[in-house]
Amino acid sequence: MDTLLTLATLAAAIRLAIPVAVAALGELVAERAGVLNLGLEGTMLFGALAGYLATLSGGTPWLGLGAGVLAGAACGGVLALLVVLVRADQIVTGLAFTLFAISATTYLFELSYTIGQAPPRIPSLSMVPLVVIVLVVLAGVWFVLGRTTAGLVLSAAGEAPEAVDALGYRIPVVRTLATVAGSSLAGLAGAMLVCGPLGLFVQNVTAGRGWVALALVVFARWRPGRAVAGALLFGLCDAAQLRLQGTATEIPYEVFLALPYAVTLLALMVRARRSGTPAALAVPFVRGAR
Amino acid sequence: MIAAALHGVRRSFGATPALDGVDLELRAGEVHALLGENGAGKTTLMRILAGLDRPDEGTVEVAGQPVEEFSPRAMRERGVAMVQQHFTLVPTMTAGENLALARPTGRLRPGARQARRRVEELAERYGLPVRADVPVERLSVGEEQRLEILRALDADARLLILDEPTAVLVDAEAERLLAVCRSLAEDGRAIVIITHRLSEVFAGCDRVTVLRRGSVVCAGEPVSAHDRASLATLMVGSAPVEPAASRRVRDGEVRLRVEGASRGRLQPLDLQVRAGEVLGVAGVDGNGQSELEELLAGIAAPDAGRVTVDGRPVPVGAPRERIAERIAYVPADRYRRALAGPLTLADNLELGRGERRRPPQARREERAAPVLAEWDVRGSGPSAPASSLSGGNAQKLVLARELAVGPRLVVAAQPTRGLDPEAARMISERILAAAADGAAVVWFGAELDELFAVADRLVVLAGGRATEPFTPPYDRGAVGLAMAGGHAS
Amino acid sequence: MTLTRQPADPRTVPAPDGVLGRVLRRPDGRLAEAAVPIGAVLAALVVGGVLMGIEGVAPLSAYGEVVHGVFGRTRGLIDTAVIATPLVLLGLGIAVAYRARLFTIGAEGQYIAGALAGTAWVTIGPPLPGIVLLVSGLAVAVLTGAAWAGITAWMLARFGASVVITSLLLNYVAAAGLAWAVRVGIRDPDAFTPQSRPVGEAALPDIPGTGIHLGFFFALLAVPALAAVLRRTRFGFRVDVLGANPEVLAVNEARPARTRLAVLALAGALAGLAGFVEVAGVTERMTDAFATGYGFTAIIVALLGRLRPLGVLVAALLLAGLTVGFDEAERAFIIPSTTVGVIQALIVVFFVAGDALSRRRR
Repeated sequence: MDTLLTLATLAAAIRLAIPVAVAALGELVAERAGVLNLGLEGTMLFGALAGYLATLSGGTPWLGLGAGVLAGAACGGVLALLVVLVRADQIVTGLAFTLFAISATTYLFELSYTIGQAPPRIPSLSMVPLVVIVLVVLAGVWFVLGRTTAGLVLSAAGEAPEAVDALGYRIPVVRTLATVAGSSLAGLAGAMLVCGPLGLFVQNVTAGRGWVALALVVFARWRPGRAVAGALLFGLCDAAQLRLQGTATEIPYEVFLALPYAVTLLALMVRARRSGTPAALAVPFVRGAR
Repeated sequence: MIAAALHGVRRSFGATPALDGVDLELRAGEVHALLGENGAGKTTLMRILAGLDRPDEGTVEVAGQPVEEFSPRAMRERGVAMVQQHFTLVPTMTAGENLALARPTGRLRPGARQARRRVEELAERYGLPVRADVPVERLSVGEEQRLEILRALDADARLLILDEPTAVLVDAEAERLLAVCRSLAEDGRAIVIITHRLSEVFAGCDRVTVLRRGSVVCAGEPVSAHDRASLATLMVGSAPVEPAASRRVRDGEVRLRVEGASRGRLQPLDLQVRAGEVLGVAGVDGNGQSELEELLAGIAAPDAGRVTVDGRPVPVGAPRERIAERIAYVPADRYRRALAGPLTLADNLELGRGERRRPPQARREERAAPVLAEWDVRGSGPSAPASSLSGGNAQKLVLARELAVGPRLVVAAQPTRGLDPEAARMISERILAAAADGAAVVWFGAELDELFAVADRLVVLAGGRATEPFTPPYDRGAVGLAMAGGHAS
Repeated sequence: MTLTRQPADPRTVPAPDGVLGRVLRRPDGRLAEAAVPIGAVLAALVVGGVLMGIEGVAPLSAYGEVVHGVFGRTRGLIDTAVIATPLVLLGLGIAVAYRARLFTIGAEGQYIAGALAGTAWVTIGPPLPGIVLLVSGLAVAVLTGAAWAGITAWMLARFGASVVITSLLLNYVAAAGLAWAVRVGIRDPDAFTPQSRPVGEAALPDIPGTGIHLGFFFALLAVPALAAVLRRTRFGFRVDVLGANPEVLAVNEARPARTRLAVLALAGALAGLAGFVEVAGVTERMTDAFATGYGFTAIIVALLGRLRPLGVLVAALLLAGLTVGFDEAERAFIIPSTTVGVIQALIVVFFVAGDALSRRRR
């Protein structure tokens, strides 16, 4: 057990947690407004690719981070357009977007280098600036959601959209902005993954972290602080299972693989109200429907 | 000073006019009662004033200025606020947060302490106590309502409209609310209370306007100029009641027994309906009708007491058993409870009555066609979606299904609502025919004339309690009085 | 009008306007229904052709090679059938669930759970003669898949928990279970890498005269069987009513919670069946690379197939054919291996967009 709790494990946990934390914060913003964005994984991939390509051409990973944000915002805009304007279903659209992104990013990536040569590595950031970014994003999300009027309106839109609509706010606008903001963070998360210690891009580099972030939002009961703490927890489980894979122990490492999700399931075994689920999550808003 | 005035307001939904040239004048410093039955147009009129709807014709003025834009926000800025029957608060947020949402004090939202103080100050000023730090979903209904009013007052409303405010309150709370309305009026505001309860009118209001079928039958007269009987008569009209054409034999066995059944707003109720008898249930919405409807149809179980048909309790939450017991249910809200819009007419006929193995679609539609013809359901054939039917035909479809196999009990909730006269007549006839065949029928109605024509006996639900049954010849005034929550004495 | 606020029931959602709403409100005319999916496929193929052209590959010859890859050689037809099998079974289950508006994304987890349980049964369970072993293995897989989906149904009924979220979480739990099982639980002691024992006698025989395992036959059977269930049984009727209006179902026909459980259990059963069939017919044993994302592709299959059994079959065969054909074409041309993935992705995008647009034009 002491092999688990070494500094190395902790460092690994933090490294693993960083992109998931930021992505979860982004998804949290969207879900608090009532939008279930299953396109999260896809947005992270586009952010990762944009980060990689921008860093490659610009020479500095900071450029990559910026590109990740923009790519994320673009994805969010497209998703919001489809869901809000064209009124496609949140679930189908998000899922389709993610499936599309997996193939599209791989394809675009392979276009960017000549097949046969190894794709170039990029200059990368160490963990310290990334952790700072996470904390800044956390502070920002916490502040906006908890202390500003805009955050109040956003949270209300996810709980009782009819009430917010009756007060004169336009729900489609609120939800679009929330989606774009959340997706920007998701794009940033993808870029952080690639421009961080990893330093390269491969096919499907996010490897399901976006889905993990979705689960994490539920685990965190839609609260920003808990999302980051939860990401660390998930990261610890991840690091633990990676570490345990090499050693022979009584506890199978797969327990740590399943642990975060099993715990989240348990957390859902209270009435949906008490689990903190936004009441109007994934429910399309139709004015006048009763 | 005139707070608001409406002139010649007309509003129609489809063919039926909800408001037919209404004039109304509201003055500052008074509490004005707006009285009327279901469907009289009270809520429609006030919704227009609050900007939730717009008139087809006519003008609206607030504080002497004509209203150009009908939107809730615009009217709120003009100082008009309406507290509706649906509350529009965010349940998971506290009172303070709800106030901050309605009237933000800037980009940043107030801290918890500031928010609490805001609520407490308002509550203190207007005498409407509300707990400040609790999520709205944990407040009592009375507190929620007070918060809704505080929210409106916080936005500096000069004209406050309350839609049936005392319906959700106990007597003591209702008295307190009326007292608050009085003091708000003395402050120079105009208060409008939509109600159907005469006691409130006399207890708390200065002037009264009565609407009947979209027209004004009493325009802003002082309350002191009337008594209960005269107001009740104005509400329901004074046309003589035509004696029904024929009366069925009503000495069958008692089929339906309701013994001390209560649920929600419905207080413990005793009823008996015999085979072949039609019991009319009158009353303004919100007095226990929907609870009674659900108890009779087996949608919900009574909190106390029991409901039996031919001695057997009504199956709860078990629709096929209910159908096996030959209890027919014609709900008030057709497309919410009785018909699945996207499914075909043939499919809708099958609800609750199909076999385990269904015949092929063509055969099902073949079987459905004669049924549709017999019940005169006019549409584009058995394979058309139910949502394509007009109101009358949709209801005929429901009856075709529910009344097919001689029912023992028919629960009919406003069966002719929204139907043109011809369709209404046919529906009526079919239900009466079921009664003639031995069914006990409970008919919830909104239109008194209709109930007078079909019911063998009539009870009125008011305040969750039922009156003693009225028998023909019906005294319109007495029935109207009962509906308004009073007695002739 | 209510005088008090009703708590929002997470289970009663207003009728959707979007893709699913359109799909569920099945427009008249089978041909009209097929127009958008077919259009989406064609559009994707055109764009794919353009992309290949940019690469310097002649699109028509490339597509010709694709077609030849599938139809021109027996291997192509066999591979298409084999790949289509799990897609059909999974897609049918998802189609039923989505008709009832239960948007589960847990097919992947149910697939794994069923495969695992079935494999465990046949490799370390009681030694039974071949055919009995196989049949009992299938039964175990079906029941386990149904039970796995049942968890989602239970959490919805008991706690109001979102089907999307719980089914997603259960996917991960199943994946972890798979990792442990092939490494420890049902591991083959004679193998170097983590994997289960081979299913041995429980392997699915081939359809006589072809090189295709019997699972394809199950898939083909499942299509008319499910169509019959949906069109000709009370259960199928209830699925449609539930999808149209749960309250009408509750008042007139059946308890919605029961129908939801049955629907999800059926979807899980089909997924579990697909999983074990894949092991018993194709991989012969389970490894940690077993989960290839069929559960998610099957969602696309179900949507393209307009939630109809026959449509699901056609869509599955189409997507499988594209995969096989492109695989073959890559040998002849220098096409990026991801082209088929992109085309598949484009099909999805065009379908979603095209469907929404077609709805607006009405």
